[in-house]
Amino acid sequence: MGHVDFLLHEASVGYALFKVVHQQDSVGLHLKEVREASQDLAKLGKMVQLVSFAPWRNAADALENINSVSEGIMTDYLKSHLELNLPQSKKSKIVLGVADRNLGGSIKAVFPGVEVETGDTSEATADLLRGVRLHAPKLLKSLEEGDIEKAQLGLGHAYSRGKVKFSVHRHDNHII
Amino acid sequence: PARGGRGGGARGGRGGAAKVVVEPHRHAGWFVSRGKEDHLLTKSMAPGIDVYGEKRISVDSTTTDENGAPVTTKVEYRIVNPFRSKIAAGIIGGLDNIYMKPGSKVLYLGAASGTSVSHVSDCVGPTGNVYAVEFSHRSGRDLVNCATNRTNIVPIVEDARHPLKYRMLVPMVDVIFADVAQPDQSRIVALNAHLFLKIGGGVVISIKANCIDSTAAPETVFAQEVQRLRAEGIKPKEQITLEPYERDHCIVVGEYQGSK
Repeated sequence: MGHVDFLLHEASVGYALFKVVHQQDSVGLHLKEVREASQDLAKLGKMVQLVSFAPWRNAADALENINSVSEGIMTDYLKSHLELNLPQSKKSKIVLGVADRNLGGSIKAVFPGVEVETGDTSEATADLLRGVRLHAPKLLKSLEEGDIEKAQLGLGHAYSRGKVKFSVHRHDNHII
Repeated sequence: PARGGRGGGARGGRGGAAKVVVEPHRHAGWFVSRGKEDHLLTKSMAPGIDVYGEKRISVDSTTTDENGAPVTTKVEYRIVNPFRSKIAAGIIGGLDNIYMKPGSKVLYLGAASGTSVSHVSDCVGPTGNVYAVEFSHRSGRDLVNCATNRTNIVPIVEDARHPLKYRMLVPMVDVIFADVAQPDQSRIVALNAHLFLKIGGGVVISIKANCIDSTAAPETVFAQEVQRLRAEGIKPKEQITLEPYERDHCIVVGEYQGSK
């Protein structure tokens, strides 16, 4: 096991799809060096390659997507992004590394040619996704320094305000 | 808000009161005021605003500009109450390494209303970030409000048991601080560490013995939790009790070595 062709990274700025160009040797999976390779940007850059990056079109779009992603639902935006960028072949299935099992299930249901590995089922996927998260600001080349943090801040506020059922202005609506 | 302590009514008297000297603490980002009593302080990220009615101290700091002329600026510090902040109780108790300093990214689990989080936000400053997770909606509302004044706090109203739900909001962090007071807190911390914590990053976890097992002796509970952390790849470094600020609490600090 440990074989994975593509990685899906859901960032605060959009969806990023990476191709794993250099497969890790599954025998060496527990070796410390392999783990360290995904920490090192130079080595990780040789292992994964950005295929496409789909930024949010606006704030409402971002909020809709985070709400769906956190529930493991594939949005139309993610679906069209995957349709455009994942190779469709009848013969061999491609393996997509996704962080969340539920989202993986939603993707598998729509794309029959896709096999899903999550961080729970494959240690290689977990390590690669950790590496991508660590170096996302560098790997997503179209971004400026600090873009991801700014997006996280805005999205965190929007998401949390949506979750808080009380009014954030401390006025509870009394039932009369 | 009500103001405790001496001279409760003398609002105007505070600024001109006894001379206080502010010194940096051994831990970067924290400060100590030397006066009649010593206090632990943080340098306010949002001067002029108190978060929970805590006292603020303004100190003139003099620096020189590029021409060598002295420039005096007011720096505002906020007094940390170790009875309300476990990390402060830990610092006063003498923790050796808290893994957070100005510029750090901190994942804070169990952020509550943001009282203690606000001090961590001061500590990491404008170049750092605090990702504050709190599940309770009522506390979450106060947390969101607190975060509006402090742009380095990302409020996350979500269950820390399901870190995947907020994976879009959190990058790789330098340290996880946990004050969740749940029986399965070691597992919660581990789940978050596996997703978000850098190798070699710190885990600072406050353990309330009663919340894990109210029948066993606190020392037994602490030892058992340390074992659980070890099994998750978190190498324990130090452990201190939070007496006299909290009863049967301890803080365990560990370093993340990666899963398995």
